This record gives sequence, structure tokens and C-alpha cells, in this order.
Amino acid sequence: MAWVTWRQHWTQAVGALGLLVALAVAAVLTRLPIAAAFDHDSISACVPPAARTGCDIIVPHFESQFGGLVTATRVMAVVPALAGLFVGAPLIARELEFGTYRFAWTQGVSRRRWLLSKTALLAVGTVVAAGVASLVVMWWRSPFDTLEGRIGPSGFDIEGIVVPAYALFALALGVLAGLVFRRTVAAMTATLIAFGATRFLVSEFIRPHFMAPLHRVISATTTSAMPGDWVLSNTLVDGGGRQITASREELAVLHAQQAGIDPHTYILTLGWRRIVSYQPAGRFWTFQLLEAGLYAGLAVALVLVALWLVRRTPA
Amino acid sequence: MIEFHLDQQSGVATYLQIVRQVKDALRLGTLDVGDQLPTVREVVADLAVNPNTVAKAYRDLEREGLVVARQGRGTFVASTLAPASLQPYAELREELERWLASARVAGLDEESIRALISTTLRESLARRVA
Amino acid sequence: MSSPPLVADGLGKRFRRDWALRDLTLTIPKGAVVGLAGPNAAGKSTLLSLAAGVLAPSEGSISVLGDDPLRTPEILGEVGYVAQGAPLYRSFRVEDTIEYARRTNSRWDREIAVELLTRIDSRAKVGALSAGERARLALALALGKRPRLVLLDEPFASLDPLAARELLQLLMDGVAELGATVVVASHVVADIQRVCDHIVLLTGGCVRLEGGVEELLESHRLLTGPRRPLGSIRGVREVVRERYSGRQLTMLVTTDGPIVDPSWTVDRVSLEELLLAYMAPERLPNVRKMERVALRWHG
Repeated sequence: MAWVTWRQHWTQAVGALGLLVALAVAAVLTRLPIAAAFDHDSISACVPPAARTGCDIIVPHFESQFGGLVTATRVMAVVPALAGLFVGAPLIARELEFGTYRFAWTQGVSRRRWLLSKTALLAVGTVVAAGVASLVVMWWRSPFDTLEGRIGPSGFDIEGIVVPAYALFALALGVLAGLVFRRTVAAMTATLIAFGATRFLVSEFIRPHFMAPLHRVISATTTSAMPGDWVLSNTLVDGGGRQITASREELAVLHAQQAGIDPHTYILTLGWRRIVSYQPAGRFWTFQLLEAGLYAGLAVALVLVALWLVRRTPA
Repeated sequence: MIEFHLDQQSGVATYLQIVRQVKDALRLGTLDVGDQLPTVREVVADLAVNPNTVAKAYRDLEREGLVVARQGRGTFVASTLAPASLQPYAELREELERWLASARVAGLDEESIRALISTTLRESLARRVA
Repeated sequence: MSSPPLVADGLGKRFRRDWALRDLTLTIPKGAVVGLAGPNAAGKSTLLSLAAGVLAPSEGSISVLGDDPLRTPEILGEVGYVAQGAPLYRSFRVEDTIEYARRTNSRWDREIAVELLTRIDSRAKVGALSAGERARLALALALGKRPRLVLLDEPFASLDPLAARELLQLLMDGVAELGATVVVASHVVADIQRVCDHIVLLTGGCVRLEGGVEELLESHRLLTGPRRPLGSIRGVREVVRERYSGRQLTMLVTTDGPIVDPSWTVDRVSLEELLLAYMAPERLPNVRKMERVALRWHG
């Protein structure tokens, strides 16, 4: 089956290679000005917990200078889905659409063995390609990772071992979608929707709770994020621990302005505190392991369902 | 080597046609003792007929003692059907040729002649059965 | 003691609400060349698809070479199946397709496959082949694995007569070499009556007629005579069809002895006429069409 898989998917392999090459070239080209700025302004000396005078000006300047580029790289989160759309979805859907399953599944290889062999081999290729993409992104983002951390959403989804895990999940999703919907376009659409929905749900509702978040009281005056950590929520509470609504906060600020007092000081005298709930930067690899494990587990489950379902197709 | 042909419209079973063609060839002398019949595969590839059919025809001929199958080498003619004298047939043939000439003079084309012959033959056979 | 190459027992297949096959029981004898005949949508393709494990039965069972093709899919390595339209990967080259079959079947005989592919460029793309060449390729792939059972679904459709004859020659040659059992589905009887020694006629998902060709032709006769009220005729077991044309009555009958009644002209039937008679619906819709057929029966 190795020869069969290669013969039927080598164009996809070439496409993936091309994509990776383009990615690497783009990464190298865009990284040059970043590295130059990083060295020129000696921003390395500003990396927390180090701090020197002028950092609070230089660092924000650096971040805003390349902020657009950093935001643009978040599109890399879509890359794992490509494995599902262009490799997984057509795998079975094409055979069913063109009727070639009546040839492929009537040779001496059972449907299950055919599906398992192909999926396993393609999974290896997918993991390798996604791994390379992840490494490229990690290399590219290293200055920003040191400054902003990577456990937050701008870094977590596109670095580390979750990227191959997402790709495996997308691949398995595509394969099952092809089996269920039997048409390539429908399978691709379903894969995209299911992938997007799952990623959204996990990153919004499950990932924040992988481990119990830590809490810290920061001065009510400072509302800036803690560098490197992933801030989940930021609430103002009064002396009794009750949350202060935005309108109540506005009212207090108004009072202070009318009385001619600095609003921040006024809030402190009221006994109000700002509590931040966060996940510390040090938990990055733990969370990566947990999320990658989750997606890999989902991928395995989907493949098992597909192996069960393939015997009943086309019904 | 004899070459077979198959008349699908005749309603006669394939294996019977093969048997008949072998016998005709034996009668006319185009097949002689010791000649090899085409192998089953050769006949099948040539005529596109069922190999079982050819095998059956050859078995029937072997049962009648006309051919013998030599293991691994093919099927060979064992005896002929050439009658002692060809005279009776020669006379019948001449008579037939004279009749055919008359039929053509009467304006019958080949198709009509065939139809006339087969209908008359059939009816006469039917009368004999009845 | 080996099992028959194909056995169906109470086999039924339903698509949504329509039954394509219903309560079908059939045994194919070993070594036979079976013609699976019947009009379009009679269930021939469905039956072959079930035999090849492409579809799953809705009820009943089917076994090929003694095994259930769904439970023991490895048995398909000994079944040469060519689906309708001979589906193949169009972007593959001929040599790729051969390699594909070689690697996915434990028994592979390159010689047999290559014999069928004379005059075809092995580097040509499958999509660029003519219909006849594609049919030959599909047959080569089916026979190359030295199957014990060959299932062909409408192999002659879309082939010109020369290509069809060539395919038939190659098929019979392959059968002669392999000693395989063959089931050929065709809605055009003329394509297969040359080679079949066994016939299964399907209409509306049921077996309408089944048996060895020789026995069937021997046990049926065509009676022609003047139109008259019928009593029982000596030698006639059952009247299958009767047709009236003017003052003439033609009947297809099954016999249980010689028919010696001089008031009837007794003829044999060809396989095609026999099948047509069993295929036609009970109510004759178009008398004129029947008259045309009747004329043909009188050669």
C-alpha cells in the first residue's frame, strides 16, 4: 500500500513541499528587519524580568512597529486545516464520486486495510509537514515570544506540538467527512466548519481550564497585561469582593475628577482592587501537551469511526 | 489445419457445428489421419466460444473414434469417414448443379434458393417424423 | 470438496424504498460461463455488486467461493470483477494501473495481463484510451490475478462490434487458461449467447429463468399453426407465450416429450428468442411489434 499511497498522493506531497518552501522564504525575508530592529535597539536587554530605563518606550514601539506582521502570522492557524481539506476530504470522497471505489475495494486488500494504511502513511507525512511549519513559525516568532510570551492565543495556536496535532485532527476529520458526504466539495466544507468550530470551542472554553488559573492582585491603577502570561480575565472588585460594574467605575472616576483628585488614587482609597486571572508562561509546554493529546485523541477516535463506517459504504 | 466457423443464426448448438465441420472435413478428405486439430485455446481465441463447448465437441469425436487426444500434445485425427466410393456423391452433386441452374433460370436469387431448400428439407423431415 | 463459486440465498437489496432484488436464491455451477440477462434495471448490476462486496445485502446472504465478501474481503483477491463502465484511475498510466493490481493482489500473473494489452502503449494515460482499450485493460487487471471467479458487468456496452468480439475472444482465452467460472451481465443477449452455457434471466429483481443453455433449448419449442381453440397437445407441458397474428397462432412451449401433432409446425428457438419471450411483460402492449418478432421467428 505504500506504493499505492505514494502514487495517488505525490502531487499533494509536492504541493505541501512548495507551501513549506514559500513559508520558509517568507519567514526569512520578513525576519530580517525584525532581527535588525531587535539588535539595533538592544531590545534583548528589555526582556523580562530584566528591565532598564527606556524599556517601557522601546518595547511598545518595537511591538507596534511589527504588530501588523505578528497579527498577520496568526493566519498560520489555518494551515493545519489544509491537511483535512486537500488530503483527508478527497481521500474517500473522490473514490466514491468517480466510482473508482468499485475498483480499489475489489482487489485483494480489504477496505479497512486500504483505509488504515493510507491514513497512517498520510498521517506521517502530515505530521512531518506540520512540524516543519511549526518550527519555522517558532523560529520567526522567537523575539516576540520572549517579549510577549507564547502561551497566549497569538502564539499558542501556531507553535509547538499542537500544530501537527491540529493537522492530524483535520486529516481524520476530512477522511470521515468524505465517507459521510461522499462528495469532495461537501466533505471539504464540512471539514472546514467542523475544524473551525472545534478549534474555537477548545481554545475558548477548554484550554483556559486545563489547569486551575492563578490569581493575582495588581494595583487597581495598572491595567496593562502581564508580559509573558496569558491573562484570562481582569476584574475590579470592591472591599467585599463584589465585582464593580463599568458604570460604577465610571461614576467613581467622575467623582474623583469633580473633586479634583487623581482617579487612580481615589479608587485605591475606596478599597477597590484589580484581580487578574491568568495562566503563567511557564505552563506553555504542559498546555501544549494537553491540547495536542486532546486533538490526537480526537483524530484517533475519528479514524476508528471511519474504519467502522467504511464497511457500510455505499450502504 | 482446419479452421472452424460458427453460424449463430442456425439454431444448431456450437459443439454440434464443430463436430459436423470435422466430420465434413474428414469426408471430403481435407483432414487426414494424423492431422492435428486446433487446440481448444486456438479455437476459443479464434471464434470467441466457450472452451467447454470445444472440449465437449472433441470428446464426442473421440467417443466416436474419429480423433484421439494425446496428453500434452493435442488432439489428432484417428480415422477418416471417406466412403469407399465417392461415386454416389458425385452423381448427386451433378444433379444438384443441374437443379441449381434451373432455379437460376427461373429467376431465384441465392437467398430464395436457400429458403426453398431449407423449407423443403424441414418439411420433408417433419413428414418423416409424423 | 470445494463450494460453488457463487451462491445467493434469499438475497434482497433495497435502495431507500425500492427493492432492486428480492428473495433471490441462486447457485452458479463451477466452471460455467453464465450469462446474466435481463432488461435494464432488472437487478443484474446489483447482484454482481453484492457478489463483489461493493454493496451489502439488505436481507439474505451471498457467498463467493465459499466466503462472505464483506466478512472475508480477502477472497476478492480471487475474484476478477469489472464494474459497469470499467472504472479506473484516469490519471494513471497503463503501467501504473498494472502495478496497482500487482501490489494489491497476492496472486499476480503478469503474462496473462500483458497478453491482453497488445497494441496498447503502457505509458499511455488511462483517460486517453479508447473504450475498447479500457475494457481490455480492465479485463487484463481482472484476469491477471488468476481469479477463480470472473464477474463482468456490461463489458460490451459502448464497444463497437469489432472491439466487442476481440474482448470476447480474450475473455474466452483467459477462461480456457484459468478454468475460471464466469458471470457476464449484459442486457444485449446477442453479445453473450455465443459463449454461455448457463443462463440466469432476471426481471424486476427476481429470477425469471435459469438453467443450462442446452437443456433450455432442448426443452422449448416453437409451435406455429392456424388459429384455433386449444386443447392439450401431446408433448407440450406448458405454454410460455402465445402470439396471434392474423389467422396464425404462434406459441412458445416447454416440452416433456416429442411433439408429433401434424397440425403444428415445430421449430427450435434460439437463445435470444427464448429470453425475449420470458422477458416480455404479460400484457402485450404493441401487437405490431409482436408481428415483427413473429416474422423473425419464421426466419
